[in-house]
Amino acid sequence: MIDLTTAPKQPSAMRKAVAIFAGVSMLSIASTSANAAGTLAGTDIVNVAQASYDGPSGPITVDSNPVTIKVDELLDVTTASSNTGDVVTSPAATTQVLSYQVTNTGNGQEAFTLTADTAKGGDDFDTTFEQIVLDTNDNGVYDPGVDTVYSAGTNDPVLNPDQSVTVFVLSTIPAGAADAERAEVGLTAVAVTGSGAPGTTFASAGDGGGDAVVGSTGASSEDSGFFIIQAAQITLVKSAAILDPFSGNQPVPGATITYQLVATTTGTGTLNNLVVSDDIPSDTTYTPASITLEGVGLTDSDADADAGSFDGTQISVALGAIPGGQTRTITFQVTID
Amino acid sequence: MKVKILKYIATFAALAVPGIAIAANNVALSSDVFVERKVEKPDGKTAVLLEQPKTVLPGDNLVFVVKYKNVGSAPATDFSVTNPLPKAVAFNGTSDGAEIVSVDGGKSWGSLSALTYTRKNGEIRPALLSDVTHVKWKFNRSLSVGSEGKLVFRGTVK
Repeated sequence: MIDLTTAPKQPSAMRKAVAIFAGVSMLSIASTSANAAGTLAGTDIVNVAQASYDGPSGPITVDSNPVTIKVDELLDVTTASSNTGDVVTSPAATTQVLSYQVTNTGNGQEAFTLTADTAKGGDDFDTTFEQIVLDTNDNGVYDPGVDTVYSAGTNDPVLNPDQSVTVFVLSTIPAGAADAERAEVGLTAVAVTGSGAPGTTFASAGDGGGDAVVGSTGASSEDSGFFIIQAAQITLVKSAAILDPFSGNQPVPGATITYQLVATTTGTGTLNNLVVSDDIPSDTTYTPASITLEGVGLTDSDADADAGSFDGTQISVALGAIPGGQTRTITFQVTID
Repeated sequence: MKVKILKYIATFAALAVPGIAIAANNVALSSDVFVERKVEKPDGKTAVLLEQPKTVLPGDNLVFVVKYKNVGSAPATDFSVTNPLPKAVAFNGTSDGAEIVSVDGGKSWGSLSALTYTRKNGEIRPALLSDVTHVKWKFNRSLSVGSEGKLVFRGTVK
């Protein structure tokens, strides 16, 4: 390059030429962009040095020989669970989804083989593997019938450098899984070109024509998501108190029986739409408007908003959604015929 | 004047086609690029070898060596050597620190600490090694007939 700082007065035409040349250089700088994964595989690094000096007949510029080096493909991948914390599920549930993000952290376009591992040790139970599904519409949510079912070797996701794909692993929860138990499900992504110890080289297998070299991730990455069972059980305890017409407690005709039902929920889950009902015993007559819940009287009508009802043969109290660890006490009265 | 302009045009034509040395020069210039390869020796120590690579990986450390020699019959005055950095290479300094650099594609020159870099959003900050686009050595004396030397700088594959 001509050294402008020491050059004598320049003709205006040369100034123009310098300006154009500088403009071209700026363009090439603007297009300089390296992604996080580094220079793209297959890029040629060409180095040319230039010397300039004043020869006997004026300024001379000399170019050196060009040295061309090709950038190899680095094979790198990361897998990360997309679920924040454990995913709540219940025994015998099907199509239970765990989400993962697979990112090509290498510098070339690469396909990845996906495998799910539902048989991890160290957890409380194993789920039954259903499918791996690719988030085809890229919305981060499993859409049955829209997202594509993954089949190894057939539709291995092909990712550009820095590109990610969301992957869903679908599981069936065993019926025998108990409350608060956890299950670990792993997803592994492996570069199709090859994997192994960092530095392992696959000659001429790289994107762009160079070699493919295993990077620091080993070109294989696994992460796990977790299911947790949230279930609840209910126990009902029934007791009876008799008050006879003589202020005693003999079960004689005309005596009033007060039944008490205590519903106790246990577990970490919630029982939804919980309804407690009880048949009126034969040879007894229900005492109208005698239902109470937590000591508060309820009506017998099923048509009103309150929780209690009597349909002629049984009383019923709709408790709604009751989380584990609570009790509800219901009473009603009958008289002995 | 006309003759002079033609000569400048010829010079820029030569720049546009790198690698084709002008036959009528009297300074020979050669470029070599080496990569540092770490090799574990049997005694457990790590040795760094310089290799002339065909291929490299992002993160590899490169050593650029530019050799010059006046092979002509007259001294070359106002002698300077410029190496534009390949796009995929981040500048990592020279061995002697005698260079000047440009961070704007060769428009302005100076020692790195004296330069500023204008970001796309207009912010101006001190120039960093990674901003360097060109490295240049200016000799404040003429290169006498037969004299030679080499210039070394380091870079990292982005």
